Amino acid sequence: MSVIVSSLEQRIRADNLKESPLSTQEYFVNMGPQHPSTHGVLRMVVKLDGETVREVIPVLGYIHRGIEKMGESFGYRQFVHMTDRIDYLSALINNWAVSMTVEKAAKIELNDRIQIIRTIMAELQRIQSHQLWWGVFGMDMGAFTPFLYGFRDREIITDIFEETIGARLTMNYIQPGGLMFDIHPNFQKRVKDFLKYFKPKLEEYETLLSGNVILQERVRNVGIMDAKTAISIGATGPVLRASGVKHDLRKLDPYGVYDKVDFDVPVGRIGDCWDRYWVRIEEIKQSMRIVEQLIDNIPEGKTMLMKPAVKIKLPEGTYYSQVETPRGVLGVFVVSDGKDKPYRIHLRTPNFNNIWSITEMSSNWRLGDLVAMLSSLDVVVPDIDR
Amino acid sequence: MNWEIKTVAMFASEALREGYLGAAGYIILGVVAIAGFLAVLGMVLIYAERKVAGHFQCRLGPMRVGWHGVLQTVADTIKLFLKEDIVPFQADKVLHILAPLFTLLGTLLVLAVVPFSPGMQVADVNIGVVYVTAVGGFGVLGILLGGWSSNNKWSLVGAMRAGAQIISYEVSATLALLVVVLFSGSLKLSDIILSQEQGWWIWRAPVVGLVGFVIFFIASTAEINRTPFDLPEGESELTAGFHTEYSGMRFAFFFLAEFINMFIISAIAATLYLGGWMPFHIGGLDGFNAVMDLLPPGAWFAGKTSFLIFVLMWFRWTFPRLRVDQLMRLEWKILLPIGFVNLIAAAFMVMFGWYYGN
Amino acid sequence: MEIKFKTLVAPEIKRGCLMGNMFNALGSLWKGMKITIYYLTHPSTVVTQQYPENRETLKMMDRFRAQLTMAHDENGHHTCTACGICDQNCPNGSINVVDRKNPITGKKELDRYIWRMDSCTFCNICVQVCPFGTLEMKGNFEASVYDRRLFVYTLNKYAGPDQKNLLKIENLDDRKKQMESRDIFGGPVPLSGQSIAGLEAGVFDQLRKTEEAATNG
Repeated sequence: MSVIVSSLEQRIRADNLKESPLSTQEYFVNMGPQHPSTHGVLRMVVKLDGETVREVIPVLGYIHRGIEKMGESFGYRQFVHMTDRIDYLSALINNWAVSMTVEKAAKIELNDRIQIIRTIMAELQRIQSHQLWWGVFGMDMGAFTPFLYGFRDREIITDIFEETIGARLTMNYIQPGGLMFDIHPNFQKRVKDFLKYFKPKLEEYETLLSGNVILQERVRNVGIMDAKTAISIGATGPVLRASGVKHDLRKLDPYGVYDKVDFDVPVGRIGDCWDRYWVRIEEIKQSMRIVEQLIDNIPEGKTMLMKPAVKIKLPEGTYYSQVETPRGVLGVFVVSDGKDKPYRIHLRTPNFNNIWSITEMSSNWRLGDLVAMLSSLDVVVPDIDR
Repeated sequence: MNWEIKTVAMFASEALREGYLGAAGYIILGVVAIAGFLAVLGMVLIYAERKVAGHFQCRLGPMRVGWHGVLQTVADTIKLFLKEDIVPFQADKVLHILAPLFTLLGTLLVLAVVPFSPGMQVADVNIGVVYVTAVGGFGVLGILLGGWSSNNKWSLVGAMRAGAQIISYEVSATLALLVVVLFSGSLKLSDIILSQEQGWWIWRAPVVGLVGFVIFFIASTAEINRTPFDLPEGESELTAGFHTEYSGMRFAFFFLAEFINMFIISAIAATLYLGGWMPFHIGGLDGFNAVMDLLPPGAWFAGKTSFLIFVLMWFRWTFPRLRVDQLMRLEWKILLPIGFVNLIAAAFMVMFGWYYGN
Repeated sequence: MEIKFKTLVAPEIKRGCLMGNMFNALGSLWKGMKITIYYLTHPSTVVTQQYPENRETLKMMDRFRAQLTMAHDENGHHTCTACGICDQNCPNGSINVVDRKNPITGKKELDRYIWRMDSCTFCNICVQVCPFGTLEMKGNFEASVYDRRLFVYTLNKYAGPDQKNLLKIENLDDRKKQMESRDIFGGPVPLSGQSIAGLEAGVFDQLRKTEEAATNG
């Protein structure tokens, strides 16, 4: 696959010269930065021929906040709380990524209690993120009700987080060396209640959207991306798995206690929107399985192994670690010069790569399909721009 | 039972023999009644929709203004009246301002023939069904003009979608209407209602009536741009479609027209297939029919219409939206052939008298 | 690389003949409609919380992080030694610990603990790093105000030595003398590199009262 790099101006100029046999005129519309289905401030320049999408050019940078640069003036402990804000729907998993890098560099062995609590929290976060995605997907398809149902059920997980962590979205819970607090005494009971509550609700989800013929027709065979393209773009997470690639860091590069729990990895068949939809729904089920296996087996132990008041200094060198967030692979690359602040931090965020698949799959589909495809990518815009 | 049909138009023509003043009075009465009804109905429907939607979605809906939020729509209307009316830069000003009025006019004119009860109808035109179809199609003009004149590509796409969709689905809706016209042998709405004294066409014409009703209901839902056929607005695709650039009162006109249209198609479907104001009668069972007559005809009409409106809301808060090509496929490849077959079947049934109560 | 883990493959959506297709389609639509009508007919499933009305019954989680406070014991003593670890660890400079020399003993002690809620991200690091357990997060979430200067809080109620040093003083009157009352912060408030003038003490009280009246009324 060759990549043609051309600027926006060049492309606009080239196409006005083209003559169409029906003497129709292609036109450009700006989808975003303010548009209900770009989920934030993503801008896409869409070339349309009537209703048909000819080309999509994502324009990024509307919510760039320089988090990587800010990391250079923070200590490691302080930087963790910034990662809540890159992909706000997987705050805990992002925290974990940075903490893991620091622990790897400082050579800290964690006890089982920390690892299991982290894993449970991460899986709850994954369920919560997919619930929200499901609701938003329904809304992008024109059904408003799933949005409310998704949020209603997500609220229960957020309450669980709130009880233990004290925050609902920007949690800053997983710290280098352990956890900020021990779990709340009610935590296990609440999680079990949630699992009991959510199983029938998930069936409802399946009836309301997955089984609905209108939705099936909207997503079936729409926006197909084959495995080769997905890999060459660097797509990860459900987007890559839906294209049929068996890639899940929880299996390939296990962290936490993922190597000790039993779960399956859903993969897609051809990589259309339906596969991406189904993979996420199935991931909710698998995450629930993981939580079920772990929730009764939390051993005793300390929850913080580093002294919080002492500044973390990493030995000179470069460190990298990666985790599987609900949207794909989040890699944290740290260059340390031996001081208490990183020399450079780079974040390899999943959405930055995933978003480009829209340029590959969208041509010659309708405008409505573009919304479906974008929604099936599950884009979180601050994660693209950092 | 003898039903005496009285309409405002009749009163006006009687008064005309005495002098012009009385007739003018009746005409003004008719116009004012419809306009007042329009405003009140719009508010009630918007409130009902929000409340129903809320409870469908595990919410409460409006709760703040008045008891359980009953005055919410009044407050919203006042707000919309007071808002600035923005005309976009380089928009076609005249058309932009006229478009909502066109849409509202279409719905207003149809209301004139809706038979609420034997004594409540503004005009009983002898070509009622044709009038409904013809004037009902007027609304698309406003939508097209509004989308075109807004100087916005999203609006234009929405308007074009609306044009294609409404014109396509009108075919199916009309075919379904013709089924009832065949059975009742009249185009006059009051005659069609009276022809259902022995039973409603939805069950008196076996299968054909039901199929016709379903086709009419689906096609009309598409005609008034409600979910799952809300492509012209499609807020997740086109931000707000043809009324993206409208604000204040002009937006309110579009909004009002949408809700009144919902009432109109429910009323027409009820009139043609469910007997309009005619109570539920079964031919031959006089005792049963007498019991059914205890409820006034107006209540029957209101009941049937509100049930159909509720079903429309139910659709809206359950289904996702179709895609534009699927929409066309549904019409031209599914609804239209079935509609034609249905119409032919209806013709044969009328010819041989194969229906109940014949 | 060989991949050994178990995978599940997405099912294919089957499409049959036209008539079967149509009935299946209508069936699937009806199933969805059954779910929504269930919620409509069961008002107990409503999850809306009517916020200002349910204020009396609304209970926040104990750990909810909404307002930084300094713990004062029953004598009104706090345990802050003005070590400034929280100040150094705060990622966004929301905390400013002003210390001073005790006029009698000459030891370092807390003058004013300034916390700016408007720039705080509630990351809880200050509470975590405090070696004396002085700070805690409270669940007061009704924090909106009309004047941003009201976001600048002075957390300590008095300027003076911490609990340990105060308890060393036997005489209660002497203890009282060491505790100089601190209530509000009236100094200039930094804002985007510049600063806006602080509030007069009287004005401050009045403003806060109106805010409270507005939130409660």
